[in-house]
Amino acid sequence: MSYVKIEGVSKYFGSTKVLNNISLSIEEGEFITLLGPSGCGKSTLLRAIAGLNDLSSGDIYVGDKKITHLPSKDREVGMVFQSYALFPNLNVFQNIAFGLKMEKMDKEQYTVKVEEMVELIDLKGKENMYPGQLSGGQQQRVALARALIKKPKILLLDEPLSALDAQIRRTLRNEIRLIQRKLNMTTIFVTHDQEEALTISDRIFVMNHGDIEQEGGPRSIYTSPETEFVARFIGNYNVLKKSELETTGARLVSENELFAIRPEAISIFPLAKEGHNMDETINIICEAEVVMSTVLGNVMRFDMDVKGIGITVDALNESKIHWIKNGMTVQIAIPIEECKGLRIPS
Amino acid sequence: MSHDTTKKTKGLFWHQAVIALLLIYLFLPVMATLLLSLAKEWQSELVPHHYTLQWYVEIFTDVRFISAMGRSVLVSAITVIISLMIMVPAIFVIAVYLPKWEKLLQIAVLLPFAFPPVVTAIGLIKIYSSGPIAISGTIWILVGAYFILILPFSYQSIRNSLRTIHAKDLMEAAEILGAGKITAFVQVILPNILPGILISSLLSFSLIFGEFVYANLLVGGSFETIQIYLFNKMRTGGQTASAVVITYFILIFIISGFIIKLGRWKPKEYVASTIAKGGE
Repeated sequence: MSYVKIEGVSKYFGSTKVLNNISLSIEEGEFITLLGPSGCGKSTLLRAIAGLNDLSSGDIYVGDKKITHLPSKDREVGMVFQSYALFPNLNVFQNIAFGLKMEKMDKEQYTVKVEEMVELIDLKGKENMYPGQLSGGQQQRVALARALIKKPKILLLDEPLSALDAQIRRTLRNEIRLIQRKLNMTTIFVTHDQEEALTISDRIFVMNHGDIEQEGGPRSIYTSPETEFVARFIGNYNVLKKSELETTGARLVSENELFAIRPEAISIFPLAKEGHNMDETINIICEAEVVMSTVLGNVMRFDMDVKGIGITVDALNESKIHWIKNGMTVQIAIPIEECKGLRIPS
Repeated sequence: MSHDTTKKTKGLFWHQAVIALLLIYLFLPVMATLLLSLAKEWQSELVPHHYTLQWYVEIFTDVRFISAMGRSVLVSAITVIISLMIMVPAIFVIAVYLPKWEKLLQIAVLLPFAFPPVVTAIGLIKIYSSGPIAISGTIWILVGAYFILILPFSYQSIRNSLRTIHAKDLMEAAEILGAGKITAFVQVILPNILPGILISSLLSFSLIFGEFVYANLLVGGSFETIQIYLFNKMRTGGQTASAVVITYFILIFIISGFIIKLGRWKPKEYVASTIAKGGE
């Protein structure tokens, strides 16, 4: 029995369809991510769960309760916004206590709970400070504490890290995950950053044009994209048509028309060298010209030209690949099992 | 090198000269008015020889002056309060819940600029001197006209305050945390837009306080405001009028001081904890 159930949810803004008959279910304590580019409907879906948008059709259940038509304040959800949305006139303590005050809880009772929360988010000693005096990361932690203190049934995170610096984003991402595990909090996270989605989630729903294109664990989403959109959005996949792949010399037995190949799955060899790892029964072997090489840090990215077809190859940036120079002709080996056939979405 | 420095000094000189000229241009009339209001008499001399406070004594003992002040304060206060009570909720609702109507409100708010006060006043007199709402010549026609007059100012500042605090996000956050719409507005929105509202109120207040055309045409002698009193005084004696002007200036100074102070307003513990943070 799943904990959160979304059944056939659609949403129109005027005549534009933003959510197209979406159904998904989430287990209790699961951390799921809605991933997609802006305008894909991920935020609309999240806001619909929070009761901030109404739906054109479909239903949302949390536990066994149907919450489709409940007002936000009765839904028992917690939400963290990209803009933090802390109350500027209240200090850290008062911000975190706000939800409990709304329940008419006594000051003595909520003080204990607020202190616990302040401890959890590691902001002890800053209770009397105002949001304007805190850094972005600290503000977002206060927002998290404010959302969690009411022990919501689901925690909704609407791009909570997007406004932060790369460094703080990574630390806070880990902290959110730790707190979520500790409290076993069912969480829905919305982001357009595929790295964020891959590192933080139990399951990812990749969305595009109001549809869920693919769902799965981070590893399966990354290694086995099912559509061209997912392949391009989640990594730097080479997406090749069947005809293009055949010009490289591949003999494929597959009815798919489109294939995705991970750039790091392809290996590069000097022209003359024969032998190891280049078994033609499991590899497509072809000559390629190095058009451009780019240093990405721990990875080198080579843009190759194979008979007029552009192919990207990633290799670990170690000294044994330093012989590869621009303009050089090399051999590349594409493992046939890494050519993932893509489905054309209807 | 030295050439460069001279060039810089020269540039600075022009800078300061322009500013000085501007200040003289702005303050000379005020200084002259101040001197005139303090002079025993000022005929052909460059500056008066004998000074006195008698003109101030005269106006402050004049019942007409005191009641004209009172009327101006009254009409300004009533207008500002009515304007706040109507405009704050209206702008809030439109900004947060009906953003597509905002364009219309913007146009409506700017319309008063399109009509010169003299034209509007004549129209208003025609409509309101007879018929179901015969309020011409009373304070109420003035309140109505001033309400429209200050609309652009109150709209801008209330709207800006709402925008800076991301009112929509705050409302949503508060509602998810269990607050009803009214509770959320009172506890979360209102305290944060209060400084902005107060500033706009004070601006509107001083705007109405200095208004003459509507006051003169719509109510004239039957409701003598401070500006009408001043106008009448100018015909009788320059020195009393100067004393009125200076008194008026001082009042506006005080109001402006408040505006600047409020513009920097922060919650009361804010300052204390900033100091504490610096001390760490």
